[in-house]
Amino acid sequence: MCEPAARAAAVGESVKTKLLVVAAAAVIAWGLKRHYADARPEDLWWILSPTARVVSVMTGATFTLEPGEGYLSRDRLFLIEKACAGVNFIIAAFGMLVVLLLQRVGSAVSGLRLLGVSLLASYAAAVVVNSVRIGVAMRLADHPIAPSMFTASDVHRIEGIVVYFGGLVLLHEIVRRLDGRGYTAGRRP
Amino acid sequence: MSYAVWTGVTGVFRRTALPLASYYVVTLALPLINGAARSDSAFVKHALVVLVVPLAVIVIAYAIGQIVRATLTNQDTGRSPVTKSRPLRRSL
Repeated sequence: MCEPAARAAAVGESVKTKLLVVAAAAVIAWGLKRHYADARPEDLWWILSPTARVVSVMTGATFTLEPGEGYLSRDRLFLIEKACAGVNFIIAAFGMLVVLLLQRVGSAVSGLRLLGVSLLASYAAAVVVNSVRIGVAMRLADHPIAPSMFTASDVHRIEGIVVYFGGLVLLHEIVRRLDGRGYTAGRRP
Repeated sequence: MSYAVWTGVTGVFRRTALPLASYYVVTLALPLINGAARSDSAFVKHALVVLVVPLAVIVIAYAIGQIVRATLTNQDTGRSPVTKSRPLRRSL
């Protein structure tokens, strides 16, 4: 095969692999979403349990599993329920990492590695970021700072958005730096 | 708004475009596809907050970063950044 044809075939193969990786990532994200939609709090032990443990370390509160409810701190009257699981954060972080690192994929093996690393990194990030969010929420519940124009519920919602979005930006920056690609957009050469 | 500030803000938005898009997809696009806007009127209010807060976070974080950078630069040199970057006549 002549060189341009061989190069074109290699590029075609790489594009096909990338498309397969994107399709696999979409299936994983959809599976996570379905699992989350149908799950009871006990079924989400894989994310709620480590989150409750990290929150315990951060705040000193003790959480115990209440079947059908979630992880409850009786002393602080705070419940880590299904909605606090952070599964949406995992899905957002996972999709973001797959898109960010997709250009590294050249073969099926590297594609599988990308999916595995992205899933693990998004899980770890979700536990940390979600624990921070819950820790801050517990602090706000103990010491309300709600200005008159916001209700406590509004403050809780805004706090969740700020921490989740901040966590995504932080994860994005960390992975970019680890990947060895300093971001130069917006800077003059 | 000056050119430098405008360039800085657009640069920060470009830098955070992927996290922002990921966040919007999961918090807005997926519930919309699932019909949340039709079945739940509270979703519209929630969606507005979700839409605006990350943008505000980006702008506030950029402004704080610029203030901190300017303060640190002034502390390091005791002079303004403009004075620092000006070449010394003596070295010529």
